[in-house]
Amino acid sequence: MKARELIEQNNKKRALLTEENEKYYTNLLLYIRTKLTLSEQQSEEVLMEMLDHLTEGQQDGKTAQEIFGNDPKGYADEIISHLPRENKRKSFIFVSEIAINLVGWFLIMRSIIIPIIGTKASEEVYIISSLLLILLIMVMTALGVKMIFGLISQRSFDENATDKKMMIRAGLYGAGGFLVILIISFFVKEIGPSFILPWQSSLGIGAILLLTSWIMKKSRI
Amino acid sequence: MSIRSQLLKGILDGCVLAVIEKEPVYGYELSKKLQKVGLEDVSEGTIYPVLLRLQKNKLIVGEMRPSESGPNRKYYSLTSAGQETLETISIEWNQLSVPINALLSKGDEPFEST
Repeated sequence: MKARELIEQNNKKRALLTEENEKYYTNLLLYIRTKLTLSEQQSEEVLMEMLDHLTEGQQDGKTAQEIFGNDPKGYADEIISHLPRENKRKSFIFVSEIAINLVGWFLIMRSIIIPIIGTKASEEVYIISSLLLILLIMVMTALGVKMIFGLISQRSFDENATDKKMMIRAGLYGAGGFLVILIISFFVKEIGPSFILPWQSSLGIGAILLLTSWIMKKSRI
Repeated sequence: MSIRSQLLKGILDGCVLAVIEKEPVYGYELSKKLQKVGLEDVSEGTIYPVLLRLQKNKLIVGEMRPSESGPNRKYYSLTSAGQETLETISIEWNQLSVPINALLSKGDEPFEST
């Protein structure tokens, strides 16, 4: 069974848990899933086994604490330490998919904005500046994902953490990241050779890239 | 950690391999069988890190298939490397358990025999 099917089944089966067991299990699940370097397939398999175990145990009158112990974080860390890493090829395909998707959206946004501004100058693309910007956006996105996943996994077993606090931190990061991109893009505006890319071509290429990333996503899982 | 669980930690891999050798089992079955033979205070969750480690070391393999009661479960069976490891653990255990029994059991005096 593939990771995606396991995730779907997991969502359905979790509904069968009692409130207390569901809370305990969901924390384990979030903590393990947000460790991005682990093999997704292996993680989902062991998560499914634990969920099945908990469901059966629940029928026999056991609680999640009795089954997995009083230290869920320690337990999750132990599970994680025995899970294999995701292989490099898969990670590479995943990152390329996100990059293609980002550039696709970028081009489509551009094709919407240019007709609104309506100047010829805005159709000019500076190769080096564009590459720098795309790289920057990717780095910021990667950092953002890492930070938000880090927040979720920290929050998993922290009783004091609230959703509100987390939202504020994530929001601040988003705003800060956007500001950095804005400032840097202002300074690297016109570097190196340029060519004209009309908004129609921008729309076409953007659409093709989005389609590509969508196909990659479908074939990945 | 109790003394009992400390002692058990070193030999739990062997116990899990021994259960799986008899017939392929899935997680919940495995924990039930361990409890049935008397290892009651093995917290049920502890088997999952053990199963992951044994899989990583290629001593067991897991396979998803329908269980008796219907839904899919991941059944574990021994690999040939697992079989060998289990035999080694059994031999080691026997070599250790005889002198340790003699040392720790009350009433016996192993040093007297001359």
